[in-house]
Amino acid sequence: MRIEPPSHSGVVVPWPARGRLARLHSSLSVWAVLGLAILSGRAAELKHDLYFCANLSGQKQVMGSRVTVPSGLYRSSDRQNVEHLGFSHIRLFSMTHDVRDPDTLFLATLDGVVRAKDRGRTWRIMTTWDMTEAKSIAFDPSAPEHVYAGLPDGIAVSHDRGQTWRRMQEGIRRSYTQAIAVDRTKAGRVLAGTEKGVYVTENGARTWTLVQPTAETVTDLQQSPHDPRVFFMATTKDGAFLSKNGGLKWERVAGVPTEHTLHNVDFDPKNPDRLVVCGWGTGVLVSEDGGKTWIDRTAGLPKREIWSVVVDPDLPDRLYAAPYLDAVHVSDDFGRTWRKLFFEQAIVFDMVFVPRQ
Amino acid sequence: MNVVRIFLWPVVALSAANVWAQPSFTGPAPVPTVINDPSLRRAAFLERRDEVVNWRALLAKPGEPATVGLAEIAAKLARREDAALCSERLIELMKTPSGDMFWMFPVTCISYLGRDQLTPAAKAAVREAWRTYMPLRGDTENHWVMYYMSLYLMTQLYPDDQGESWFNGKSSVEISRESRAWLLDWMRITTTIGQGEYDATHYIGEYVISMLFLATWSQEPEMRQRGQMMLDYILADFAVDTLNGIYIGAHARTDDRQVLEKWNGLSSFFAWLFFGNCPPPAAYGGWGIYFAVVAQNYELPEVIYRIATDRDGPYTQFERKRTRHRWRNSDLRNAPVFKTTHVTADYAIGSDQGGLLQPIQQHSWDVTWAVPDPRGVHNTIFSVQPHYSTFELMMYFTEMPDYMPLTVTFQGKPTYTSDAKFLGGSPYEQIFQQDDALISLSDIPAGVNFEQINGFFSKDLTRLDEDDSGWIFVQGGRAYIAYRPLAPYEWRPLEVGGKRLYSPHRQNGTIVQVASESEFGSWDEFKTKMRALPLQITREPKPRVAFTTLRGKRVEFAYDAEPRVDGRTIDRAKQWKLFEGPYLNADVGSQRLTMTHGRLRRTLDFNTVTITDSVLPK
Repeated sequence: MRIEPPSHSGVVVPWPARGRLARLHSSLSVWAVLGLAILSGRAAELKHDLYFCANLSGQKQVMGSRVTVPSGLYRSSDRQNVEHLGFSHIRLFSMTHDVRDPDTLFLATLDGVVRAKDRGRTWRIMTTWDMTEAKSIAFDPSAPEHVYAGLPDGIAVSHDRGQTWRRMQEGIRRSYTQAIAVDRTKAGRVLAGTEKGVYVTENGARTWTLVQPTAETVTDLQQSPHDPRVFFMATTKDGAFLSKNGGLKWERVAGVPTEHTLHNVDFDPKNPDRLVVCGWGTGVLVSEDGGKTWIDRTAGLPKREIWSVVVDPDLPDRLYAAPYLDAVHVSDDFGRTWRKLFFEQAIVFDMVFVPRQ
Repeated sequence: MNVVRIFLWPVVALSAANVWAQPSFTGPAPVPTVINDPSLRRAAFLERRDEVVNWRALLAKPGEPATVGLAEIAAKLARREDAALCSERLIELMKTPSGDMFWMFPVTCISYLGRDQLTPAAKAAVREAWRTYMPLRGDTENHWVMYYMSLYLMTQLYPDDQGESWFNGKSSVEISRESRAWLLDWMRITTTIGQGEYDATHYIGEYVISMLFLATWSQEPEMRQRGQMMLDYILADFAVDTLNGIYIGAHARTDDRQVLEKWNGLSSFFAWLFFGNCPPPAAYGGWGIYFAVVAQNYELPEVIYRIATDRDGPYTQFERKRTRHRWRNSDLRNAPVFKTTHVTADYAIGSDQGGLLQPIQQHSWDVTWAVPDPRGVHNTIFSVQPHYSTFELMMYFTEMPDYMPLTVTFQGKPTYTSDAKFLGGSPYEQIFQQDDALISLSDIPAGVNFEQINGFFSKDLTRLDEDDSGWIFVQGGRAYIAYRPLAPYEWRPLEVGGKRLYSPHRQNGTIVQVASESEFGSWDEFKTKMRALPLQITREPKPRVAFTTLRGKRVEFAYDAEPRVDGRTIDRAKQWKLFEGPYLNADVGSQRLTMTHGRLRRTLDFNTVTITDSVLPK
């Protein structure tokens, strides 16, 4: 889910003046000024913070190497600056927040599920050695004690806001799970994107049923913010699929290629007809008719290898795209033109909007 | 991904001027001898250990703080000298921690060595670093063993600390419990279905260093004992697969250098240290210092020493290992690996069954011949079906697929995507070894990377005859080797010397038969006998070979079929034990390894955490 559901607390804690503010991209001074001018009038409109799960270390940094630039969790509160939060971490894959406490983030990382309290400041690894390399994480807004994590060898569930976890993946054959989407309309109804398709549970993960087999791994799974019956998913070289009945029946999306790995999908929160897809070699594809036709909006981006794309819920027509090992780019005309915004040589695994209230 | 390692840091940091101070590296190669007197054997071991520690300590130059790194601090603390300097430098170094688990285990080592030497301020700096720096857990077993061993031992030093004192937010009690659980689970699966990163020419170091630390510093008697038992276990597994200290293939992991120059890697440091039968690598393999500073706390059992150095004659050792964890593209979490190793005084030939058993650095088979001085010598011959794919990487890593192959090449595995490479496994290669004969078959689909076979022919071969019969006869050391490509080939030069056999045919393979020079009256006699051996080769539709070996065994091996020997089908899944041979024996699932040499016997029983030594009656 790129837009986190509204929190239940309604409390916004000002960010303490700590850490370093990451610079805007060094070559962006003109754009920065322009963006500042645009945003100065819009700052009050921003209802979400934008978080990045990013590896900024370039191609060479892996486990065991020296840290040159802090990676991991970054936040932009004003869409102009980004701030690094918590520890440097080169394998922070995705995140969400506690639906009852937006100051508490939950991170899916190589080390397992990390709870980052105080808006990212205080970390604790919540899982143990047997539940690691988490790929996705989601709270159940209808049962806010319940958290689901997609693991490369199954699904972990917490019934106490992440304090304790257990595996709940009965019925899933190949258990690699990249994506988790909780149906916001019904407690305990969850969709899991696995190596071999989409599974659904109606009972809080006690049992799972395969509803859509896929030839390749499901890489992303999103529920429409407009119509909760609509789900959208991407796969590794098996195309994209849409469901209009709560994920029980899926149809392949014509016009989205199957020869490339799709990385993620997103809905425009303001316009139900607008969808967006990105992937490796795919670039950025947008649809403005509910997925019937697709337009390539990669022109202006430095490459077609796009790791993630997201629609800004606060600023109309604004898209962010993260080309592989490049700057995060922004478009204010839904992909017709792009400019660099944050970072330099980044792999941005995920971009997530967290509501301020 | 489990790719670039910082294991080269300690080496890279050294200047050439320091090489002189490594007498065993620069001096004459040792003549393999068996030291029968235990006290002399121990004294020789301690002398080698001291050589490492002293060399490293002397790299720290007075007045040059930059020359004092973690390894130098460890060496100095082991010598119980310059505690004030060590403390000062440690405080500095703790300001910029990095390296994840490769930072954790050196700092753990220093913390224990320095318990009664470091200043309170230095200890406080170390303690603070474990709060403010988050080392990653990593993505493969050698990472995890370092990570959990370090955490287990560090929490012993601060047993009552709460979560706010540690980077992971957990209390010492929680960390200790979790680390212990991981270590026990790793020991259990290793002793029941085999090691995952088995026979790794570099990563053996990460395992034995970790187990030595556990055996030395665990306050819990059970974990101390288990550490020693795993150390015995891994070193016995190493000893039986060596030829004059050189690690024999097959390997779960090796590297572009050591796959050719078989001696040149960290494994040879341990052979030198324990067996004294080969030179140590430069800088004692880099990480060797961290074993050396604690090495006096471990005494290699005589039975292992003799397995490595004192052999009655040729032997075949069978071993079962496992693949590392498979995440995708497999129904098996850990698929079995079936190894065969045949060793004589003059040569060794070892193999697995082929296939994708490990990512990137698998080495499925080779012949290694004995040499008096292995330094700079490419004393090996083998072939590979060069392959790379996102399929392979997705199987063993949990990341998005497409960026991985190229990224791997930037991270210490530069040849991964090269068609000329000599490293890596292939899903399109199947292997069977009978004694000192081996058949490798490949059935390569069209369009994959790559549609060819590469054979490595060393610069150090003393003969190479391309025979009209189709055999290529070569000699390395005292080994006579007959190499039969199944399909036409051509030669390509190699920058490192020697040449590459390039055979661009999809139904393909290699047959190899090895023998000792001493078995024949002449080179021609060897060739004549080889030509006379019954041999049938079929390449279409799938490769198939029927070959009667020099040892009189009729081997029939077809791609996608079980091999047959003298008409009997070989079912490796049923037949292969965890260890089976004259020296090491263990049943699958047993957690019980018996090491035997002559009348010496040591049994490691992980069920009861018991070591039993016995001397068999005459």
